[in-house]
Amino acid sequence: MKIQKLALLVSLVGICLLLLTLQTRGYGSAAGDLFAIVSTPIQTGLAKASHATFGLWATYLDWKNVRAENRRLQEEVQQLRVQALRVSDTDVENRRLRRLLTLQERLPLTTLPGEIIAREWGGWIRSLTVNRGRGDNIPRLSAVISPDGLVGRIVDVRPGASIVQVLTDPASTVGAHVLRTRTSGIVEGDPRGTLRFKFMARDGASIQSGDVLVTAGQGGLFPRGIPIGTVRAIDNRGSALFHYAELTPAVDFARIDEVLLVTGDTQRDLTAYFPKGG
Amino acid sequence: MRGLLALTVAGGSVAHATLTPLVSVRGVTPDLPLIMVSLLALRRGSEFGCLAGFVTGLLQDAAGGGLIGVQGLTKAVIGFGIGVAGSRLRVSQPLVQVPGLVVLTIAEGLARFALLQIFRFPAPFGELMMYVVIPQALFNGFVGAAVVLSLAGVQTLRARFEGEPS
Repeated sequence: MKIQKLALLVSLVGICLLLLTLQTRGYGSAAGDLFAIVSTPIQTGLAKASHATFGLWATYLDWKNVRAENRRLQEEVQQLRVQALRVSDTDVENRRLRRLLTLQERLPLTTLPGEIIAREWGGWIRSLTVNRGRGDNIPRLSAVISPDGLVGRIVDVRPGASIVQVLTDPASTVGAHVLRTRTSGIVEGDPRGTLRFKFMARDGASIQSGDVLVTAGQGGLFPRGIPIGTVRAIDNRGSALFHYAELTPAVDFARIDEVLLVTGDTQRDLTAYFPKGG
Repeated sequence: MRGLLALTVAGGSVAHATLTPLVSVRGVTPDLPLIMVSLLALRRGSEFGCLAGFVTGLLQDAAGGGLIGVQGLTKAVIGFGIGVAGSRLRVSQPLVQVPGLVVLTIAEGLARFALLQIFRFPAPFGELMMYVVIPQALFNGFVGAAVVLSLAGVQTLRARFEGEPS
């Protein structure tokens, strides 16, 4: 048995040595060709299979990288969006404050800027809390205005803050007139959060939709000429003594953030200091 | 089983030239057929190891484009030697097999170098050893360890499944 094994080894070694000798003497090409006939198709197939497998793997890796890249880009877009929002917010605030400052500088009144720090919007009461209070010497019933028009009046002064009764508060009444026709009346708030203008039927026959209403300036509370709103619809009550006009407020009370508190003399006509048309 | 073994020996040898470059590290590739021959020789004895080494080496020579017969001879001798050693020495431990593979690779490298010298294919010994034989020996050791451990794991699983009552 051992001899058989050794014989096998010796014969195989012998074959190899013969092959090597033949090759070194120039007869090796035929043996090489014979092996190539067998091995080349197998190698070609294996190469194709490996290329396909690794191609698939490379595609998977690419896809994975693209996914990671996509996630990274999405995060970047998100961050940029937040940044853009911040910039846009700052820009809007800047413009708002600029308008307020311009108005404050132009108005022939003593005013104090204030920031809205709270809102009561329940319906029973419609008020804003402004960050100016007793320490700022804010008198009660001071007019509160914005670059767009009248906001309301101070109804309560507290340490560090004041409560502004907004025009749309159901208890709010302001003397007003139509800028075009000089028709006088009273602007009232109602529980729905809208404004209406109550006027005598015989005086207001020619009031039209789109007419601008401003403060009348009577009573000494509000300076004359501050925009209140524009007529949206007229409620003609036939032969009744008073008619009503529904108004669109000049100020967007839900969005206002900064106001001016009129602290000094209020006996001035401010019509020229506000934009025409409300 | 014999068909499968023949396919493994033949296919593995031809595949070596095509597939091992894909797993090369810094230009060093493992000699997978040598690992295969060693493991087969350990399991199936010197006769099978010798034949497997001869066929594998010849195919490797042919696929690689070198002198046909160099690796046929070295691997046949190695297959035979391992087959004999496996029956006499305790070489079934992975801790023996892995360094064994490193030593075998170096031995095969030396034998190849000697054959090339005999058949007038001069090669620089120092560079061959430094950049080819020793790195490949180490690579073979690691790959061999992985193969041995994988086979042991497969055997354990097989034994567990066969032991379970159906």
